[in-house]
Amino acid sequence: MATETSSRRRIGKVTASVIYGGELLWCIFSIVSVVSLLIHELSRHPVYASSEFEGFDFEESDTEDELTHSFSSISFPTPLTTTQSHASDFHDGPHSPIPEPADPVPNPSPVEDEWDEDEFEGFPSQIHSEPMQEKSSSPEFSLHNSVSVEGMEEDKVGKKKILLRDCYVDIFCVWFLLCFGCNFFIGRNQNKNIAMAWAVKFATKDALFEKNFNLMGFGISDEIPLLLSDGYNIFKFYASGRKYCHGFLATLELKSRHDLISRWFTELILPKMETITFEVTMNDDAMDQVVFALVKKKLSKNILKDESDLQRYAGLALNAPSERKWVAKDLLVLSESKEVAGDIITDAVLDLVFGEKAFEKFGKWFVSMHFSDQHFGRSHKKVLIFKFELPDQNKMEDISRLMTLVPYYIDLVGRYKLSTRVRAKTEAARAKADQEAQRELQNARQGDILKKKLEKKRMIEETAAKLSVEAVNRKKFMDTVRRQSKKYPAKSVRY
Amino acid sequence: MKDTSSSSSNSSADPRQPSTARPYVPPRVSPQDLPMDYSGFLAMLFAVSGVMFRYKICSWIAMIFCAQSLANMKNIENDLKQISMAMMFAIMGVVTNYFGPARPSATKR
Repeated sequence: MATETSSRRRIGKVTASVIYGGELLWCIFSIVSVVSLLIHELSRHPVYASSEFEGFDFEESDTEDELTHSFSSISFPTPLTTTQSHASDFHDGPHSPIPEPADPVPNPSPVEDEWDEDEFEGFPSQIHSEPMQEKSSSPEFSLHNSVSVEGMEEDKVGKKKILLRDCYVDIFCVWFLLCFGCNFFIGRNQNKNIAMAWAVKFATKDALFEKNFNLMGFGISDEIPLLLSDGYNIFKFYASGRKYCHGFLATLELKSRHDLISRWFTELILPKMETITFEVTMNDDAMDQVVFALVKKKLSKNILKDESDLQRYAGLALNAPSERKWVAKDLLVLSESKEVAGDIITDAVLDLVFGEKAFEKFGKWFVSMHFSDQHFGRSHKKVLIFKFELPDQNKMEDISRLMTLVPYYIDLVGRYKLSTRVRAKTEAARAKADQEAQRELQNARQGDILKKKLEKKRMIEETAAKLSVEAVNRKKFMDTVRRQSKKYPAKSVRY
Repeated sequence: MKDTSSSSSNSSADPRQPSTARPYVPPRVSPQDLPMDYSGFLAMLFAVSGVMFRYKICSWIAMIFCAQSLANMKNIENDLKQISMAMMFAIMGVVTNYFGPARPSATKR
């Protein structure tokens, strides 16, 4: 019994390991199949080498004479074949006026070994001429030999030349891979240095975010680093523990310096800017009904296309009011109402960053600012999103004024309360949006129900058609049986 | 009084609230929502064509795309299988093209 239970446990362990190690088995199987294919490919090489020389007694020879003799025998069969054909014609063909030779001349050449002298008695001139031809051809033969040897050498040299030309692609590819490898390490370190420069300036002790947030980084203990890398070009920073908000997540998106191909693409064809995006999650009781955006005019189309809440609530751009100073001309204001825009764009902010004079000096790193309590696509609806460009790692001070906007607007939006008139408008707009959303949902549900009904109907029609086809076939069969029975009625057997 | 008023003003000025601090919870992303690895796909395509049609340049391009895919790999669990398959095909293509029999069109030259 104990042995049975132990064996069952072993079987269970094995099956569990097999089930959990299914992926491992798949990897091993793929590796084994690739290795077997490789061995098969390599083993075919000697077979092909030998097949090219089938039918030739091509034994390995060290001396050139043997090689030349063998090559000559391969390359020049024509004199042998012509003499042989002549001989065969004279042997088999009709009589022809040919002078008779006096005596057959013995020739030590290997050509005569091919046929009997007795068969060709009476043809001394030809035999004389043949050796002469052979002798005369022998210098040509030797010339040909030398040419063939030289040609072989030329072939060898030519082959060497061809190999060099073919290697250019291989050399370039190896060089590119080496450059890719070197660039990977260099680019990775460059990105890391930029991210660390930002963190040292704004996220270390006595820095801006350390004074505003209690918890910084992705863990409670001090051992966990401040920055989290998502790939070698994206770094994240998290902070929490402040009034009016749950916390924020800052994402540094840098250029792909570690990837040589992307680096060339971004530098030569499509330049990409390095940005830092702050996503502040506001408390539910802190933020009122606010939908507002401040963007650069060049980028307004992209933001409007991506953000559906701006399309729904703040689709129209606001013009500058006449009674007060406003943002720089390069910026576009999108808001649900003018009062909200006027309350959010304060004089302090205009003097700090968004005014005409300040924007020329400090505003070039600004990209966009988006406040919304109806943000779609995220777990929290009430968010503040800031997007800035990143300067060089030695010039992080240039964006210090923009960094101060983050805690400033957390406090401003957290304390901000709408007036009754504006609240009525915003609530009406949201109620209308909710009704439209519900209608869309109902339409979608009705559409699904209709689809299901149509599918059911189609299935019923298909089954009915099948049955009808079967019924038709059965009817035909019965008709044929009846006809046959009428033609050949079954005779009753009488006993 | 002054000390208490200054301390109270400091405490009211200090926006930090340790009680509201929450640890980071990464958002759950399904594998279907992850961006497609085009370089890995191209690596596999070129590697298979290099092995099937015996083109050296295809195998080398596959190696380059494999390197790019490895450099940009974010999720090891999802991406490593495809990259490893492409890498094996690319290496096999390079080895067979160099140490195996030459292509018939190359020998006729």
